[in-house]
Amino acid sequence: MENYNIDEYADITDVVCPMTFVKAKIALEELDDGQIISIKMNAGEPVQNVPRSIKDEGHQIIKLLHNEDETYQLIVKKVEDE
Amino acid sequence: MTITVAGNEKEYDAGLTVTTLIAAEEVETPEYVTVSINDEFVASGDFETTTLKDGDNVEFLYFMGGGR
Amino acid sequence: MAFTNEQMERYSRHIILSEVGVKGQKKLLNSKVLIIGAGGLGAPVGMYLAAAGVGTIGIADADTVDLSNLQRQVIHTTADVGKPKVESAKETMLAINPDITVNTYHEFVLASNIADIVKDYDFVIDGTDNFPAKFLINDACVLAKKPFSHAGIIRFQGQLMTYVPGEGPCYRCVFKSPPPPDAVPTCSQAGVIGAMGGVIGSLQAMEAIKYIIGKGELLTGQLLTYDALKMEFRKIKLPHGDHCAVCGKEPTITELFDYEQAVCGVNYDE
Repeated sequence: MENYNIDEYADITDVVCPMTFVKAKIALEELDDGQIISIKMNAGEPVQNVPRSIKDEGHQIIKLLHNEDETYQLIVKKVEDE
Repeated sequence: MTITVAGNEKEYDAGLTVTTLIAAEEVETPEYVTVSINDEFVASGDFETTTLKDGDNVEFLYFMGGGR
Repeated sequence: MAFTNEQMERYSRHIILSEVGVKGQKKLLNSKVLIIGAGGLGAPVGMYLAAAGVGTIGIADADTVDLSNLQRQVIHTTADVGKPKVESAKETMLAINPDITVNTYHEFVLASNIADIVKDYDFVIDGTDNFPAKFLINDACVLAKKPFSHAGIIRFQGQLMTYVPGEGPCYRCVFKSPPPPDAVPTCSQAGVIGAMGGVIGSLQAMEAIKYIIGKGELLTGQLLTYDALKMEFRKIKLPHGDHCAVCGKEPTITELFDYEQAVCGVNYDE
């Protein structure tokens, strides 16, 4: 899935585990089913754990982009559970 | 015969009534215990006449009034 | 309603859980739970529900804090002795979580006032220590179609069950009517291990939370019993009392009434 339009942006570089996932989860909650969010996160623990946790919640990971400044952009499509 | 009383298997003679079982199990405050056999309540007025059979599952439910 | 940064952090361990999440936490914040009795059971229930962010907590109790309460009623402290229990409980709950609202009812629940108190809440906790109150709470909740958690503790034993309208038996299906005053010991006469309130009250808080977030299986149609000396939990299946006087097919109890109090139960606790 290469073509996508980003509907929302979130930045979780200002917090540490477990607030990284909490903040990402809250941002995802605000979206409608099928909307796409770009989540900015730090290297290391956030990029190792947050994408996996988001996937475990049933959302679709579209892409992980490596930024110039050693941060990452995680592109996620919201999948409504119930 | 073998019956289950509060989760434990027990051996009793056939023809045992609920009243006799309550005495044998030394149930505390026997006048106020609720009894179920195979997940059905037995009316307290029927304790004398209700006999248990092999394989029955008996539970005693007690008033527990505390909370403070 | 968006979460503030403080709420995000305070409730983070709930939000992380897939069964709770943002939606479940919002349900908790919008929920209203009434705790009747600020004693051994009501103390942990109040503290855990306040911490969980149950948005509105009602607490009803006519008593004042006594030194003999402190062995188990962990919501009160030594400095609270002599204070109305509802005030002391409110202070503790708000100290844990200023995000919530606490309504106090410094009175005994009686047939004359209980319906009016219960009607504003989503879930009721029976944390009382006497049978007249336990039957009154049952009848009031059945008639008002409110779910509630019954519990009782004595010595090293505890029990609880959850009533949800239309989904299983009520307390009166199991126990037809109160035993005569003083026929069955309550914990003021028989004693109780303090941590018992913690175990059983925490389970009541758990039932309230599960009901509010709509996850898991409740103790409907089951009585959970706990024997601390044997360290044994048992779930006893409860049949529905088709002939129950209040929730059966042809109920004979259609309005609330008070039972006589035990003489030595004057220090009772709702």
